[in-house]
Amino acid sequence: MKPWLKHTEAGKSVVVDSSRRSFLKAASLTSGGLMMGITLPGFAASGAASAQEYSPNAYLKIAANGDTTIYVGRCEMGQGISTALGSVVAEELEADWSRVTVLQADGDEDKYGSQATGGSASMRVMYTRMREAGAAAKEMLVLAAAKAWQVSVDDCVAENHYVLNKATKAKLGFGELTKVAATLPVPEKPQLKEKADFRYIGSDLKRHDVDLVIRGQRVYGADASVPGMKYAAIVHCPVLGGKLKSLDDSGAKAMKGVSHVVTIDRYDVPYGSVGGVAVVADNTWTAQQAVKQLKIEWDLGPNKDYDTDKYRQQLVANVEKPAKVMAERGDLDAALAAANKTVSATYTGGHLCHAPIEPNASLVWVKPDQIEVWASTQSPADIQKVLADYFKRDKKDVIVHVMISGGAFGRKFKCDYVHEAAVLSAQTGLPIQLTWSREEDMRTGYYHSISAQHIEAAMDESGQVTGWLHRAAFPSIATLFDPSHPYAPKGHVKDIAEHPFGIVNFRSESGEAPAHTRIGWYRAVYAIFYGFAFGSFADELAHAAGKDTVTFLNQVYDNNGNPKQAEQVARSKAALALAAEKSGFGRQLPAGEGMGIAVHYSFQSYVAMAVHVKVDGSDIEVLSVDCAVDCGQVVNKDGATAQMEGAVVMGMGLALHTEIHFKDGAVTNSNYHDYPVMRIPDMPQVRVHFIDSDHEPTGLGEPGVGPFAPALANAIFAATGKRYRDLPLKPRMT
Amino acid sequence: MITINGKDYEVDVPADMPLLWFIRDRLGIKGTKYGCGMGLCGACTVLIDGQARRSCIMPVAALNGAKITTIEGLSEDASHPLQKAWLEHNVPQCGYCQAGQIMNAAGLLAQNNQPSEQQIDDAMQGNICRCGTYQRIKKAIQTAADELAKEV
Ligand code: FES
Ligand code: FES
Repeated sequence: MKPWLKHTEAGKSVVVDSSRRSFLKAASLTSGGLMMGITLPGFAASGAASAQEYSPNAYLKIAANGDTTIYVGRCEMGQGISTALGSVVAEELEADWSRVTVLQADGDEDKYGSQATGGSASMRVMYTRMREAGAAAKEMLVLAAAKAWQVSVDDCVAENHYVLNKATKAKLGFGELTKVAATLPVPEKPQLKEKADFRYIGSDLKRHDVDLVIRGQRVYGADASVPGMKYAAIVHCPVLGGKLKSLDDSGAKAMKGVSHVVTIDRYDVPYGSVGGVAVVADNTWTAQQAVKQLKIEWDLGPNKDYDTDKYRQQLVANVEKPAKVMAERGDLDAALAAANKTVSATYTGGHLCHAPIEPNASLVWVKPDQIEVWASTQSPADIQKVLADYFKRDKKDVIVHVMISGGAFGRKFKCDYVHEAAVLSAQTGLPIQLTWSREEDMRTGYYHSISAQHIEAAMDESGQVTGWLHRAAFPSIATLFDPSHPYAPKGHVKDIAEHPFGIVNFRSESGEAPAHTRIGWYRAVYAIFYGFAFGSFADELAHAAGKDTVTFLNQVYDNNGNPKQAEQVARSKAALALAAEKSGFGRQLPAGEGMGIAVHYSFQSYVAMAVHVKVDGSDIEVLSVDCAVDCGQVVNKDGATAQMEGAVVMGMGLALHTEIHFKDGAVTNSNYHDYPVMRIPDMPQVRVHFIDSDHEPTGLGEPGVGPFAPALANAIFAATGKRYRDLPLKPRMT
Repeated sequence: MITINGKDYEVDVPADMPLLWFIRDRLGIKGTKYGCGMGLCGACTVLIDGQARRSCIMPVAALNGAKITTIEGLSEDASHPLQKAWLEHNVPQCGYCQAGQIMNAAGLLAQNNQPSEQQIDDAMQGNICRCGTYQRIKKAIQTAADELAKEV
């Protein structure tokens, strides 16, 4: 295995065995106050708990005046993780939320454990640990108070930043108690609260920093500045694997305010620059204008013929013939031969570009002894790794200040833009703020895979599914780490075989699909096209069987006799039932209107959506969307609701409009006019319904995206009788 | 000379530089954002003499004598009805588009303090929110409009 693969795949969805105990540590601060940290197994904290040296993965700090700071190691990009994780600590601490400040931690995985923020994993991985940190600190504060009053801890209770003496009603503030608390042993197994006693978890707590946003004071990677810095802009080689042939930079250099023109060679690691030419200037505008003056000839290299219209056709051909077998159950061929009816369909989808509203941006200062980075990022450790390798420095000497991202959706997991700013800083000796133009963001992405899937099902007389062949072909993310993969390998198609539908006779196959561009994680990743194919095809089968879609889906789930999937079956069905109930699925609608439903399990959460549309010719108006969500214990209801609203918007954009096209090896889209993301007039009414669950919380950044497109396509079918199987569907409507 | 949030500034940059970059890079006032540079996304929206405009396509030299308001100058203490409504509805996700959204809405309400839903859609359609906060933006504008109606 390439070291990169191991490193990155581990980083993407870090599996930490939650049965292993976290180690809590505490110390007093030199300034007074209590510092509380957790040491995750495998991420040893440095040093013992001495007041000066104490450096655990510091989640929690209570100052002598009671002001409380919670450090969140996971990266905030709008998904609300800093508020959610902060509130979890505050809950168990019995803190007053108004006294709590949540800060984004710098990059330091020895302290914080994995900070790689993706895979909707943050809440799942961090929930119990953060609760334990809060609970342990609370118990120490209570014990400190009990000592002060010389009573038993049972006579004391923590309440809203105080400890109360139950008998005398005397109160001691958390701040006053820190001095003694810091000298106490950390409880081994702090007692966690009962669900019934939660006041923050499950509530609608506001984002901790919304106040900064409405004043225009929240600082993003693009806003980072230090005295003496210069601004840069860049143009990249348009085709992956191409090289600079000739450069005439005289026009650019002649411009007032331009100080350097720098050629950046391709750094052929997954998160390195693809290569380009950058201009350093007094301001971003001058740099951007100067880039336009560069006269560049590129040697386009082996991918110069990439054409996505042709490639999509090729993928369809590759899934409509036998391909590499990836998984098998029962005897599919016999089931197909014995079928009363067979149904088949082919689904496709295009490349997508994340296009977060803040383009890639960072400020980097390469100094003799240290590299300092201020970046919008989802993975500070990858920045440390890439820069340490490139500059032959120690990772510890790469300091990464994690700035909030102005959206990321997977794009800012990859730090090619930070690598480029670092090269510019090293070449000029100056701190460099590099902000990509929107055009470069669209043309130099890590794109969501273009895909084709072909499904064939066997049905018996009663309309039960007796067999399922599922062929998929798409350039997988594995190609980012090893471009030679000719088809998506097992790990990338396993969600097909592991889908909780109960299919006895089953085979999945992976069709040829070499990559001609960089492929990367995009919000919801493969759940986008798996969700679309499973959700659409189930609806097609229901119609073929003459059954209502909800009834049919329930039957398919009920056919799953695998005890290991019993929970997935039950929770999928419950989400489906809730979406159907809340939307009134199945009710009579006026002509031209229709409702579609789909449910998808991804990232360990369950989301069902019922979409109500009105179709008039090629005009599609999405009237409303009912989302039913089972993400275990909901940590922040308002935040979880926002994630679903956002998932609908993104799901709707990719279902209807957005696609990245390649022609002659290069992306032809350039800005939001030809990559038309959703805008406000298209916003449907979104209603979000949560299943009251006692399961541990799971993430919600991604799981809402998958079910939207199939629910929409099913709704359009219900309204018009026309089935759309290719995304985005609007350009294909007649 | 232009006035930004009540302060006068000499324009000492190339005449074709858009207001956005004068504000951000020359003055270091960073609340106004770059998203597309082509007037397509609205992230850079400011008020120019009370009207919502895209600062990324407004050459600064053409603005001699103009009064500019950015998000930092919308109110002294975040007390503008839109800011309060944004807080109430907990609108932002990543927040990067929100200065532009609020300033665009401020331009709308300055002209029409009782906009219909259709008028809100029409006025706000140039402002992209990639995180998808549109439902809340609409509600917050309605809340702010209601408060403005009470003030009158
Ligand atoms: S940056 Fe001005 S409209 Fe997008
Ligand atoms: S809040 Fe992120 S783009 Fe609008």
